[in-house]
Amino acid sequence: MNILVLVKQVPDTSDVKFDERGVMIREGVQSILNVFDQFAVEEALRLKQKYGGEVSVMTLAPEQAKTAVQKCLALGADKAYHISDRAFGGSDTLATSYALSLAIKKAGNFDLIMAGNQATDGDTGHIGPQVAEWLGIPHVSYVEQVVSIDNGKALVKSILEDGYRMVEVELPALLACLPPTNFEYTNPSMSGIIKAKSKPYIWWKADDIDGDKSKFGLNGSPTRVLKMYPPPKRSRGTVFTENYQDAVKKIVEALMEKKVIE
Amino acid sequence: MLDFTFTEEQEMIRESVRDFAQKKIAPIALEMEKTKQIPEEIIKGMAELGLIAPTVSPEYGGQGFDAVTAGIIAEELAKADVTGSIPVFYLVQASWGHIFDKYGTEEAKKEILPNVTKGKWFLGIATTESDAGSDVVGTRTTIRKEGDHYVVNGEKMYISGVREAYTRGGGHITIAKQNPELGAKGMTLFYLPLQSKGIIPTYVDDLGREGISTGGFTIDNVVIPKHYIIGEENRGFYIVHEGYEYARGLISVICAGAGLQSLERGKKYLKERKAFGQPLAKFEALQFRLAEHYTKLSFLRLGAYWALWTYDQEAKGKATRFEVSKAIAMAKMFASEWSNAAIDEVMQWQGAFGYTRECPDQAAWRAIRSFAWAEGSKEIMRVIVSRELLGKEYISYK
Repeated sequence: MNILVLVKQVPDTSDVKFDERGVMIREGVQSILNVFDQFAVEEALRLKQKYGGEVSVMTLAPEQAKTAVQKCLALGADKAYHISDRAFGGSDTLATSYALSLAIKKAGNFDLIMAGNQATDGDTGHIGPQVAEWLGIPHVSYVEQVVSIDNGKALVKSILEDGYRMVEVELPALLACLPPTNFEYTNPSMSGIIKAKSKPYIWWKADDIDGDKSKFGLNGSPTRVLKMYPPPKRSRGTVFTENYQDAVKKIVEALMEKKVIE
Repeated sequence: MLDFTFTEEQEMIRESVRDFAQKKIAPIALEMEKTKQIPEEIIKGMAELGLIAPTVSPEYGGQGFDAVTAGIIAEELAKADVTGSIPVFYLVQASWGHIFDKYGTEEAKKEILPNVTKGKWFLGIATTESDAGSDVVGTRTTIRKEGDHYVVNGEKMYISGVREAYTRGGGHITIAKQNPELGAKGMTLFYLPLQSKGIIPTYVDDLGREGISTGGFTIDNVVIPKHYIIGEENRGFYIVHEGYEYARGLISVICAGAGLQSLERGKKYLKERKAFGQPLAKFEALQFRLAEHYTKLSFLRLGAYWALWTYDQEAKGKATRFEVSKAIAMAKMFASEWSNAAIDEVMQWQGAFGYTRECPDQAAWRAIRSFAWAEGSKEIMRVIVSRELLGKEYISYK
């Protein structure tokens, strides 16, 4: 069972602040491994323990993302692919997923490709499904658990808004993983950190992967981000403390005044 | 050229330890003052991550970390545990695990160290007696050889982790006189299991770091096997000082870490708390105090890592024993004093709340106060530095 997990380094969103222009303040904000991806890595390592094989991780990101990738190796992943080149600058999810799919083809055959369902910065949830489409393999999103792997098929638990569904998917497939609400990520052990240093870490540039280079980076990105801003702060609202008949009357009047109802 | 950066690996270690410590230790720290013990799941978590005696070689269950890396772990634990209990649990085992690994017999290392690194047993140090602390030569406990084993008699006092080793298993690296007439040159170091027949423990009620016990034990004709001797017979005095130097280096980092963390809490308070219509942080008098304490503690932190680095240089043949002693003593000389002063200041900013047991800083203050003498008093640090500067012939007590 050879598994590849796609990972991304993101700003620690528990500490994100915006300046008065609405631009995210990156200074002093720590970069961390996307927690959705860490869950995917831990799920992949659990499968490795059960079915054997190897777990590789891959990222397409600037060099500084190495710390997030190293963390995956320290957690127990066997090999890392880091695709980094200025040519990928300004990539949207389409261009990123295209480049990733080319790198995956070059890296070899995987029975299973896993990814976080979304990254905590962009929050698009695009990359996993898009990579699968470029590769022409089936994909399942919102995967909380890989229940079993048997006869070239994986049985997975995929979360829905009001429940879950069990999906059987033929391998190779891509699973976009969603950590359960009680997921507590593992801290890499000291020995894991030491071992990570001697594991294969493969760097690729744009020239190392075959494909249509016009689809890389900004040129291959139809998406344009015009502005990033936090949602406007909501005011506290008006509280009516009269008896409920009077309060309802006042609420209806207020809503009519604002033309919410007529 | 100077390079003040940690390696990528060390940064990852810091990150992993910090995350664990802030997530698991910080929220329960003050509870340890009531329960008087470190929760079992914390010890288990530390063992799983490889944080107990990581200075021990991998073949005996450790990580083979050098002193600087051991210091990084100490700093992060100190930032999370305001009571100082876990830092003490850590530093004692890291320092004496290192000494055991370096000087212990193969047989003893295989038998004891894996149990220590797994968190099952506790490994401590027992040199202090009621009448002998800094003056190690004043030790009254004796060890004598009888055939293929040794017999120990005496008493030890003010020892960290007595309850831990007595109840969990493990023991203390202990010093005793084998040839009293030879003074420092007649002392032997050995491993003393605290569950041995003839050991009776006693406990003292410490002012701080209450999650780990302090106590003593009487040693009544305790028999220990030959392979428990650490290093050569009669060399104990010298080996024990090497271990103390290691521990002093870690203590210096702990003092810096705890003090800086207290200033972080204080900084937040200064910004939030208003008086006379403005945040306390707007008052220049308080700003200056913050700046001064932060500067002192940053230099302390730097000095502490430099001292640990010097210790590591000795292992590479690039520093002498005396250079190490001096560097470590310089780092520890003001460690508790500066850290306590900063924490005291933060308590002051918080007014009446700073004087309550709910305030984390008061617990930190009590813990850090112990390091003014623990593992070598601040007065002894001055003796060491002046001895290295002036020469042995000027040692005042000789």
